[in-house]
Amino acid sequence: MQTALIVGIILALLWFIEKMLGTPMVIRPIVVSTIIGAALGDVQTGLLVGATLELVFMGFIQVGGAVPPDVLVGAGLGTAYAIIGNNGAEVALALALPIALLAQSIKVLVFIIRSWFMDYAMKLAKAANIKGMINLNVGGLLLHCALYFVVGFVAILFGSNAVEAFVNNIPDAIMNGLEVAGGLLPAVGFALLLLPMMKKTNVLYFLLGFSLLAYMNIPILGITLFGVVLAFIIVYEFGGKNGGDQDTTDKEDEEELFDV
Amino acid sequence: MSDKRKLTKDEKKLMREIFWSSFMLEASYNYERQQALGYSIGMWPAIKRYYKNEKDRAEALERHMNIFNTTPHVVTTITGVATALEKEASENPSFDKKIINNVKIGLMGPFAGIGDSLFWGTLRIIAVGIGLSLAQQGSILGPILFLLLFNVPHMLVRYYGGVFGYKFGTKIMDQANNSGIMQKISKGATIVGLMVIGAMTASMVKLESSLVFTIGDEKIPMQEYLDQIFPLLLPLLYTILMFYLLKKGMKPTTILLVTIAIGIIGSLIGII
Repeated sequence: MQTALIVGIILALLWFIEKMLGTPMVIRPIVVSTIIGAALGDVQTGLLVGATLELVFMGFIQVGGAVPPDVLVGAGLGTAYAIIGNNGAEVALALALPIALLAQSIKVLVFIIRSWFMDYAMKLAKAANIKGMINLNVGGLLLHCALYFVVGFVAILFGSNAVEAFVNNIPDAIMNGLEVAGGLLPAVGFALLLLPMMKKTNVLYFLLGFSLLAYMNIPILGITLFGVVLAFIIVYEFGGKNGGDQDTTDKEDEEELFDV
Repeated sequence: MSDKRKLTKDEKKLMREIFWSSFMLEASYNYERQQALGYSIGMWPAIKRYYKNEKDRAEALERHMNIFNTTPHVVTTITGVATALEKEASENPSFDKKIINNVKIGLMGPFAGIGDSLFWGTLRIIAVGIGLSLAQQGSILGPILFLLLFNVPHMLVRYYGGVFGYKFGTKIMDQANNSGIMQKISKGATIVGLMVIGAMTASMVKLESSLVFTIGDEKIPMQEYLDQIFPLLLPLLYTILMFYLLKKGMKPTTILLVTIAIGIIGSLIGII
């Protein structure tokens, strides 16, 4: 009962923070699993599960209107089940994925419900009622948080035993396979990130980053710095048609932009 | 052209208000108007400053209830531009107020593109890369560092983006088009993003063949040979295959499930 309450509250609270503070990434698995772990008395497992899930869920981000699998609920419940049943990261992974896929529909539902609110929002705007608009905005968020609380609470209260029985019946061979799959899954995440960015003309930059690590083992931060320098050289030194003959005002503007 | 003047005390106050009002952008995200409610609330500091009677305020709030969607971390830059336009509109009766929404629509696309690749694609990945290795060692510093690395630049861009947008105001579109700033930033961000994702792919995707060929008495492990040709060749090929399948329109969830199946089946029959 107590555990279920804690998990429910954490899910609701993290979502509240995420959307009240401008998407600061507190719903990413690396944070969610750690907090769930700390609350359930096993920070170490939380950290390890968080690291594993963060990689797998790397590509699941909300860009535009498309709703990705629900990372918060998946990571939160997956971690909680793993810790409650004294299991490791593989179990968390096995559970987090299907849960995240199922929970996707919570968001879809909320986005539909809140669409109905928009008529009311327009009325408030027409009356210049800014307080009402803010209340409605926060109210819409609280509705979402409340749903997360209920889902978290119910899933842990009624689901733990069933999940534990299910997990104990998974054969070892499948668990090994899940471990292999865990190493493979980040590929899907990275491919999703690449999808809007990579074209035939710039695929070499991806290969460059890959090779710098594969052959030379340069740390990622180092490769980032190389990337920044390279981008600067390509954009400014060989900056296309109008690269050489800009007047000084333009250059100042651009420098200012980069200061930002 | 370039506005080097210092902001007045009152303008600095306005910038802080815009910063603080910008956080709730997605609180009521929905299908019909996406971030509009949050955005309209974010315009309030400007609206209440420039319009003194209720009718004008209502009209302005309603104007900003138009559908809106951009990367939340960079929204203040657009708020800043729109603020400068609202100021102009409040002082100049012949100013066509339709321009305000047109400029907003013109900005939200490119800013979503730049914002997504800078914040989701690059900054977040770097923060994950550094936080993850610590978390894997069981250090609580991992998640903390992840949040700091992401949010310090996030807050800076949120505040100074507003100042920048406000200063450029009406002129930003002309300038952006003239000097191709948008294209340049977008191109630069793509290069950095691709290199970082490439490096992350190499360090995080794990796929090794456990096949062993036996020729005569000699046992030849496949992986050793692959490593001599190109280390990490298999993770690279698998990632590119995933990219290709997505490009062909396969659903991410299907691919995830297929990947899990490959992992399980592959390890059962002993090839990976």
